[in-house]
Amino acid sequence: MPACIQTKKVSKIFGGLTAVNSVDVVVPENAIASIIGPNGAGKTTLFNCISGYYVPEHGEILFYDMPIQGQPTYEVATMGIARTYQNIRLFGEMTAIENIMVGQYPRFKAGWVDAILSTPRERSEEKQAVEEGRRLLKFVGLEGLGDSLARNLPYGAQRRLEIARALANKPRLLLLDEPTAGMNPQETEKMTHFIRSLRDELGITILLIEHDMRVVMGISDQITVLDYGTKIAEGKPKDIQSNQRVIEAYLGPDVTSLTQKYQLRKKQRYAKS
Amino acid sequence: MDKPTSTSDQGKLRFGRYVRMFIGIVIGVFLVWRLYDVLVVEHKFGADTWVRFGLSGLILGGMYALIAIGYTLVYGIMFMINFAHGEVMMLGAFGGFFVFEALRFIPAPTLADPKLNFLDAHPIFSVFLAFAVGISISATAGYFLEKIAYRPLRKAPRLILLITAIGASIFLQNLAMLLFGPQRKNVVNPDLLDRGAGWTITVSGNPVLISYTGVFSLVLSAVLMIGLYILVQRTKLGRAMRSVAQDKNTASLMGVDVDDVISKTFIISGSLAGAAGVMWGIHMGLVNHYTGFLPGIKAFTAAVMGGIGNIPGAMLGGMVLGIIEATGPAALGIDFQLKDVIAFSILVLVLILRPSGILGEKLSEEKL
Amino acid sequence: MRSSAVDNGLRTGVTFGIVIVTMFLIGFTVTGAGLIGKLFGASDSATPSLMFYSLFMILIGMWAGASASPRPLTEADTFKRALISGLVAGLVSGAIAAVIGFIFGDLSANKIDPRTYLPSVSPDSIKLFLFNQTPLMGSLTLLALMTVSAAVSAALSFFFRSNHWLKNKSGETSNAARGFFQSAGLNRVLQSQYASYVFWAITAVVLIILPRVWGSYWNYVFGTVGIYIILGLGLNIITGWAGQLVIGYVAFFAIGAYTFALLTAPEPHHLTVNFWVALALGVLVAGISGLLIGLPILNLRGDYLAIVTLGFAEIIRILLKSDLMTDYTAGPRGIRDIGGPTILGKPFVSDVDFMYVIIVAVLAVTFIAHRLRNSRTGKAWFAINLDETVARATGINAFGSKLLALSLSAAVAGLAGALFASRNQFTGPDDHALMVSINVICLVIVGGIGNIPGVFLGAFALKGLPEILRETESYRLLIFGVLLVIMMRLRPEGFLPARRPELEKHAAQTPSGKEA
Repeated sequence: MPACIQTKKVSKIFGGLTAVNSVDVVVPENAIASIIGPNGAGKTTLFNCISGYYVPEHGEILFYDMPIQGQPTYEVATMGIARTYQNIRLFGEMTAIENIMVGQYPRFKAGWVDAILSTPRERSEEKQAVEEGRRLLKFVGLEGLGDSLARNLPYGAQRRLEIARALANKPRLLLLDEPTAGMNPQETEKMTHFIRSLRDELGITILLIEHDMRVVMGISDQITVLDYGTKIAEGKPKDIQSNQRVIEAYLGPDVTSLTQKYQLRKKQRYAKS
Repeated sequence: MDKPTSTSDQGKLRFGRYVRMFIGIVIGVFLVWRLYDVLVVEHKFGADTWVRFGLSGLILGGMYALIAIGYTLVYGIMFMINFAHGEVMMLGAFGGFFVFEALRFIPAPTLADPKLNFLDAHPIFSVFLAFAVGISISATAGYFLEKIAYRPLRKAPRLILLITAIGASIFLQNLAMLLFGPQRKNVVNPDLLDRGAGWTITVSGNPVLISYTGVFSLVLSAVLMIGLYILVQRTKLGRAMRSVAQDKNTASLMGVDVDDVISKTFIISGSLAGAAGVMWGIHMGLVNHYTGFLPGIKAFTAAVMGGIGNIPGAMLGGMVLGIIEATGPAALGIDFQLKDVIAFSILVLVLILRPSGILGEKLSEEKL
Repeated sequence: MRSSAVDNGLRTGVTFGIVIVTMFLIGFTVTGAGLIGKLFGASDSATPSLMFYSLFMILIGMWAGASASPRPLTEADTFKRALISGLVAGLVSGAIAAVIGFIFGDLSANKIDPRTYLPSVSPDSIKLFLFNQTPLMGSLTLLALMTVSAAVSAALSFFFRSNHWLKNKSGETSNAARGFFQSAGLNRVLQSQYASYVFWAITAVVLIILPRVWGSYWNYVFGTVGIYIILGLGLNIITGWAGQLVIGYVAFFAIGAYTFALLTAPEPHHLTVNFWVALALGVLVAGISGLLIGLPILNLRGDYLAIVTLGFAEIIRILLKSDLMTDYTAGPRGIRDIGGPTILGKPFVSDVDFMYVIIVAVLAVTFIAHRLRNSRTGKAWFAINLDETVARATGINAFGSKLLALSLSAAVAGLAGALFASRNQFTGPDDHALMVSINVICLVIVGGIGNIPGVFLGAFALKGLPEILRETESYRLLIFGVLLVIMMRLRPEGFLPARRPELEKHAAQTPSGKEA
């Protein structure tokens, strides 16, 4: 299976701080991959590098073997990488369906002259755009809410609308930044199913950042663990769960020794009594 | 909103960068050509003229620097361009003017001169009073400007704040015009600070007048700037201001009263503008409702030149701009009518070529 | 914590006291009384009558009372509270006004004319301010008038609000006016196709007939309004939709006007290019200059952009005015005898004919703006306006889009400039002062930023109304300034806020064949 996205020794440095340090990630096509790590581990920075928002100081980012690092954001998006944001960033003053139509922007061609003259191209594209917008609304379960302003939608609906906007460009790779943040267990469950259906039904490769371990372990084909900008582990969910370095990264280096001490003391106490 | 400086679209706009490089080279060649022409080929002015220009540039620069600090302080804390700042300065200039006028009508006869008025009898006190009144008026104006116009918009988009500031600027300018009339008013100084008087030095055989008003303005600007620097660097208020400039939320969590600090920032920047306004009246001698507009924009240019949000930068920028403006037309051999074009061109060029300013490295990412 | 009634009244009173004194000092009391007189059909006289002045002051007092009265109402608010607030507000504002009035009255009685320093305070206006009485009696009258009117108004507004409040509690609709406009029946009538046909038919008839019947003065006034509508629609593209404030918009207006003028005027270049060709060239040159100016600056952040364009506008104005350019642009005295429109060689001479040209131009620009607004390009602009970072991440070339918006805006301004120069048959540097930009920004914002009908409303309100209310001319900019500050605080979306189209509903109502 070809690699959909691949980062080769990518580093991003802010001032003196190395936010991402020589990270290699390979996500095969049609996979669901997760990036996890404690707060400040450089996950979102890596996302920003992939989506073109930051230019990494070192390394290469390959999208289907094509280098994309340093390309302007809009070109990266046009190539087929779409993303969502940790704190939802919709166009609040636009309606839901307009948000999706903005997402479709790179797929259409009609320019301002077409718009003024109302050329056949403009009209057919507009019709197609609205139709597809409605289909996407239905797909994410927001049918009938298309004409309400995005900022007036409930939280869960905003999350789904943001994904719909990302899908509008028919991306080959979807970057989801904490898609289940702020959701209750039922909503999280639904969102997990939804993400899986994106891969299964639309064939989109998905790379996500997530803190909810149940989600991560449940849907990921592959997990990458970052800590202080460095990759400390990679593999299938099972391998990650038992990885010593990951546990240390999350709970601190003393944890293992602490548990050992605790168990030792317990034994001693039993022995006394 | 976090809009870091090193985003790809800013860094990678190759076309825009080429355009900027092209503009830079064209301007550079033009400058070298003009300077060579004027200084080497034509050799139009003697050293005395240059000294005269340089001096007036320094004096002007001091005033620009004082106003520029106001822009920078407010920008550093609220990330807004206080477009009405020039008008605050104008109100201060009117304050000084009216104090002089009032004191001129109070008779203070002495035996030697029965016609003597208060202004000339007690010039030091009069000047002191003029500054006190001018500074108070401007500080009050700054305080209420923030409280009435800007505070309700603390969380509004920047564009809305800027439009409000423009509205406030139009309002203050026209209020002053309607109140005091559109004519320019002559500021009559006490005899001690007569604009024609001063020390005369000789440069390359020609006399150069160093006026008392000029020296007075320059010294006072320097004192005020040093005072401000100490205030910001050494006092508790200064620490609070710097912390609010860094991060409002964290500062308020640490117990800093953000609203209070912002109010005081406006008072401080208003005071400096008021001092500059009174100086403007004393040194330039003319005051009207339009007095604040051009110095305001030029001081903003100075603040941007020095790196907006950066206090030493604003001081440096003000001085540099003053000198460039005073010597520029002569050095480039162009008409003196066009001296404002030089200032505006610098504004445009600095923003195009180096928006972070001369001392702009210290800028945090959020500010750009 | 609710402030006490006295505190509340005190604060309102001080505010209104300062407002009244300021009005007096800038001579607005006379103008205001004159306006009231005009409202009641009194003929224009040099000094308005005492009655209208009293009415003016009573209105201000009532306004003070109404704003002092507690709002929104809670259980704790009683009639007594409201009355005390109003009373204190009236008393304080009246007292401030009375003290100032007394001082000026006394000065005037001692033959001291304050006009040396306060040119707007004439002896007549002092006399009127004090109701043509002695300083003492006059200021006491002022005090009494303010106190009574504020107290009465506070009481009245308390009754009014408490009625509403009770209604709200019992679940009735509170805002009768809003209810009326939103009632289904009216909406249906307004939205039916016939209504729009009737509307357009009436508009067309009016636009054809009016310029012929109302005389050259109104043609001049509404010609100016039309040109400002064009400017407003143009600025709306870059500022209203793409969200980039351009303070120096007048630069493009000047470029259009000068291009047109230089091509058609006998001086200074002896060119007599055809009106339409020159118009097209004016638009083109302005558009290209927008492109060139935009290239280096459009990736600057919003407020820097605003200031850079301001710098450009000032540079262009100073250059036009300077001796340096006199040979090319006729310098400070401006360009005379600019050509007018012709059709098939037959010149348009009358102001009526020119009015038609302006009307056609306004309609054309409106049409273009309407088409652009909800197009793919228009959505991209609005997305950039709302969140540029995200817009880029959805594949929009933000820089290119903004450049396009600025060029189109500039081209429209060029059109307005060419028409303006041609209509006046003259253009000079002073036609292109920064105030033009400020006017345009104001009208776009006041009307409703991003909204086409809003631009019309704004242009009529800010350019048409001052022509009708000539007395207010000198106060126009002052009022603009206040209006901008107040609008940004209370209603940043303007009087006619933009609304988004209902695409989903519309698509659902006209199902296409393909849909399942």
